[in-house]
Amino acid sequence: MATLPAVSTNESAGRRWLPLVALIIVVLALAGAAEFAPIVMQRRITQGLINLVAVVGLYVFVGNSGVLSFGNVAFMAIGAYVSALLTMPAAAKGVFLPDLPAFLAAAEWPVLGGALAGGASAALVALVAGFPLMRLSGISASIATFAILVVTYVVLGNWTSVTGGQNSLMGLPIYVGLWTSAGWAVAAIVIAFLHQESRSGLLLRASREDEVAAVASGVHMVLHRLMAFVVSAFLSGISGVLLAHFLGTVRVETFYLDLTFLIMAMLVIGGMRSLTGAVAGAIVITALTELMRQAEVGVTIGTTTLAAPGGLGDVLLALLMLLIILFRPDGIAGGREISWPFRSSVAAPEIQSRKPQ
Amino acid sequence: MKLAAERVSVRFGGLVANDDVSLAIAPGEVLGLIGPNGAGKTTLVNMLSGFQRPHSGAITLAGSDMTGHRPRAFARAGIVRSFQAVRLFRGLTVSENVEVGLVACGLGRAAARRRVRALLADFDLLRRAAQPASSLSYGEERRAGLARALALEPRFLLLDEPAAGLAAAEAEDLKRAILSIRDRYGCGILVIEHNMALVMSLCDRIHVLGGGKTIASGRPDEIMADPAVRTAYLGRAAA
Repeated sequence: MATLPAVSTNESAGRRWLPLVALIIVVLALAGAAEFAPIVMQRRITQGLINLVAVVGLYVFVGNSGVLSFGNVAFMAIGAYVSALLTMPAAAKGVFLPDLPAFLAAAEWPVLGGALAGGASAALVALVAGFPLMRLSGISASIATFAILVVTYVVLGNWTSVTGGQNSLMGLPIYVGLWTSAGWAVAAIVIAFLHQESRSGLLLRASREDEVAAVASGVHMVLHRLMAFVVSAFLSGISGVLLAHFLGTVRVETFYLDLTFLIMAMLVIGGMRSLTGAVAGAIVITALTELMRQAEVGVTIGTTTLAAPGGLGDVLLALLMLLIILFRPDGIAGGREISWPFRSSVAAPEIQSRKPQ
Repeated sequence: MKLAAERVSVRFGGLVANDDVSLAIAPGEVLGLIGPNGAGKTTLVNMLSGFQRPHSGAITLAGSDMTGHRPRAFARAGIVRSFQAVRLFRGLTVSENVEVGLVACGLGRAAARRRVRALLADFDLLRRAAQPASSLSYGEERRAGLARALALEPRFLLLDEPAAGLAAAEAEDLKRAILSIRDRYGCGILVIEHNMALVMSLCDRIHVLGGGKTIASGRPDEIMADPAVRTAYLGRAAA
């Protein structure tokens, strides 16, 4: 007769929600602490929280499916441009985009409507593009997502009448501050957690572990990948909206390889197999890049300025990612969710018996 | 209601993996599928579970044609298979491993978890429920694999070398488990196995393949006495 587990069903249910509560507390504590920081630091933390939304968005697809996506920054760009076009004052659009179609030229949506439209547009593009792409696996799927990034970059950069081409769009309503970004970061974490714990999330994670065994268990892998891709694109679109309305300007060059590398590095370093890893990666890399930025500015002692060489931050970021890939492939979080009192929610693996090769 | 392969053939380039093979499993029956390496046993199971489409012939379930259906359609029709390696979802917990099949068939997660607890208790894995599958010992992995297969409430269970790597005592436990599954669920069970002692004592009927063709089919004592089977396993001189 099997022994009953020490943990009751209610306690198990409580433990399942614990990572969500803990991550929300971390984000709110970070934003709360930033209230007392200088304005420059507040802006850095706001940008870090926007990056957190982007990393969590990337995690929803990459973390649960195991398929690397280089295309999520394209969804950020789509979100940013859609929101910009819907919320910019008509007068500003008249200056920067004189050839804009009339219905867009006259649109002056409220910012929340613009944000949701931005996220929804990104999700719609993901749905259409993902329909054929989600049948691919491994490196083929990753290359296909990279193609989405390139195509979006080229289209936005050349669709001069609607996007302004390579020029910046200016005059966007600047409404994203510390608590707006913190609010969306919490929303992104909640959405990602609910997806991860949903039926679709479980089946997708099973296919991440073993595609063949998942299919043999009746899993419709393509469907669940597509659902995750759409949710992921929505959150990425929202992060693009936040970035555009934080900076007050949007430019196609912002949403290309540099940002792709940064967001991917955050997820890899934090650990792409858990939501905790995504959040940890965004926070740690934001702190690290800020430290490096300050080191590059340097300190002046008398007439001498001691400063780190320019570009050191990028080099260290690449080095850190390399070290993580080599020595801790599951990232800072080790593929596990945060648990109270900050120990793994699962017991440490026991010594395994010898298995046949 | 039978699961049947009807005159199926499969070729991989010039290699004929299965040549005009027919086989049927009835509910409540344990059928052994044996043959030397390369005889086409796994290819036949791949066809019976939708992973391989026959180039000719048909796969039928209760008389209706399943040929060309996807593996998930076979799984949802109650035809569940295991693999030579257990292929657990190593990054998921033991409980989630068993839950996957239930959820894939439309059950909500809360209801699935209740069913999973009962299954894990049956296989003495309840205390391991919240641990990652990667932490299981080999014997526990085998039990978890069976629990996962049974979660789908199979009408037919196709087991590919379930005793591979097991010690004699563990193989005996496995035999009892398979018979218990047959009695409890009433499902038809097909077993590919190289452990002849296990096959002879476990199976109601045995189907022998050699070079992709059916060599013999019958009760264990008939198979043991069949010269064609001896030739396939031991060579012409021994027969």
